Amino acid sequence: MPRLAIALLRHAYTIDPLLPLLLRPCRTLAAAQNELRWLREHVDKLVQARRPVNRKLQQQPKALLRRLAVERASGKPLQYILGTEFFGELELRCQPGVLIPRPETAASVTHLSHLIQNAPALPSELRVLDLCTGTGCIPLLFDHDFSSARSDRRLQLLGVDISDKAIGLAHRNLARVRRWKASAGRGDVDFILADVLSNPFGDQTLDPPCLKAALNFNKKPYFWDIVIANPPYISPSAYWSTTTRSVRGFEPKLALVPPPRPGNNDTEQADYFYPRLLTAARDAEAKIVLLEVADLDQAMRVATMARRIAIFDGIEIWRDQPDQRNESAVGISAEFPVRGQGNARSVLCWRGLGATWLGRGRATKTSRTTRA
Amino acid sequence: MPPSSSSWLLVRLPTLRSYLHNGMLAHARARPFTSTALQASKQLPPRRAIHDSDIEENFLKGSGPGGQKINKTSSAVQLKHLATGIVIKCQETRSRTQNRKIARRILAERIEELELGDQSRTAVKARLKSKKKASADKKKKRKYRALEAAKDGGEEDEVDEEDNTEAEIPTQETSPEDMKKGG
Repeated sequence: MPRLAIALLRHAYTIDPLLPLLLRPCRTLAAAQNELRWLREHVDKLVQARRPVNRKLQQQPKALLRRLAVERASGKPLQYILGTEFFGELELRCQPGVLIPRPETAASVTHLSHLIQNAPALPSELRVLDLCTGTGCIPLLFDHDFSSARSDRRLQLLGVDISDKAIGLAHRNLARVRRWKASAGRGDVDFILADVLSNPFGDQTLDPPCLKAALNFNKKPYFWDIVIANPPYISPSAYWSTTTRSVRGFEPKLALVPPPRPGNNDTEQADYFYPRLLTAARDAEAKIVLLEVADLDQAMRVATMARRIAIFDGIEIWRDQPDQRNESAVGISAEFPVRGQGNARSVLCWRGLGATWLGRGRATKTSRTTRA
Repeated sequence: MPPSSSSWLLVRLPTLRSYLHNGMLAHARARPFTSTALQASKQLPPRRAIHDSDIEENFLKGSGPGGQKINKTSSAVQLKHLATGIVIKCQETRSRTQNRKIARRILAERIEELELGDQSRTAVKARLKSKKKASADKKKKRKYRALEAAKDGGEEDEVDEEDNTEAEIPTQETSPEDMKKGG
């Protein structure tokens, strides 16, 4: 990381004495000014709050702002300081210990909901399972986007996570979204604690239980139409070399790097979740599966894994903005179609009726034969 | 006093629900709250619509990894209008959806200014605003002039006071007219 120029720091100081602090994590003046503006708005809101959290600090807004800027300078993510992050149209609560939702995930979820909402042959109740849910962002956004476009179909959504902190936060976010806009989502949303990785036929530990047992305990259905997952997908070496300091220092490693297993090399550890997720999707008889990945290499590996289990009629790779039509940036083997713009971000698989829901013409023949 | 006060307490006030049942609230909603009449000339021209096919949208971000590896706070949106080449960049809020809406609104205003010039929505708005400010200034000046005249007039003679009352007459005449228009 290049050192910040003294001239830039001086210039920033003349604009606002707090800006040099924010330049440390932001690196550019424009970004630092934006963050300072948001911090200031946050402090204003705290000062005007009817129920003060810390009365002493609220009487000194300048000191409070300075404290928050110092915290931010240490690398703490702005989302943890302000307590919320925007995910699509929703503003969700974030807290240390749970991964902050990323905008790329929101783009994929919104695009999937867009594709499906006008589909002809949807069941009367659409079931969506989200594995490794974290803040609960994916079910909540899917519910919001789908329900606002189509109200004649019922939705059942379930988020699963291994961390009880995440499950607690997801429940709070559900209440928050419902409070914000009663019409925002009409679906039946719930979150349960389960370990996606534990083998149902191996040694059972009930803390947390495996996915099948957890579905059983909570009286949830076994079969789900859509399975979405944003699992930990960073390899240990990439964790040390490519993640930013604020991610490494403040976000939970549990949500970023899959657990090590004896005999697994770096790449195998990064891909550790995907075979389990694909198995879970097969057991749930999912028609559509959307899995987030780190980059194009991992996307190709996951797509190959999905093809190997030979249940899907189609597989494609989505980039950061899958809704954008510009596909001019080629240079990839045409093994799997790649859609959108940006880095490769997720792998989409479908089978049976899923092809008609997504409007993918090529596989309609197979779906007809499976229905007949 | 005690019996009368208790009887006053027993009077049942109409609840909000009964209002809704009687349709009184609906009636109130159909009528504008302001008493000044809406004039056709004051209505702003409609907003210009932009189709998504006319613009190129760009989410500004650095090259390199994304997803879980970084947590960026920038949600900047850049729009480019293909026909005119106008570029709008917006990073007002932390929400990308909000920024997209704001950027589209600003772009629509810019294009309209370019197309309609003096007749565009923003120009009409600015003109209305300056007119309002001018009339407010005029009123302010008149008020202080009258106050000063009253101060001077109280000391000197009665002729000035008569002048003051005459000056006030036009404002008294106009206000009932406004009321009639509103009714």
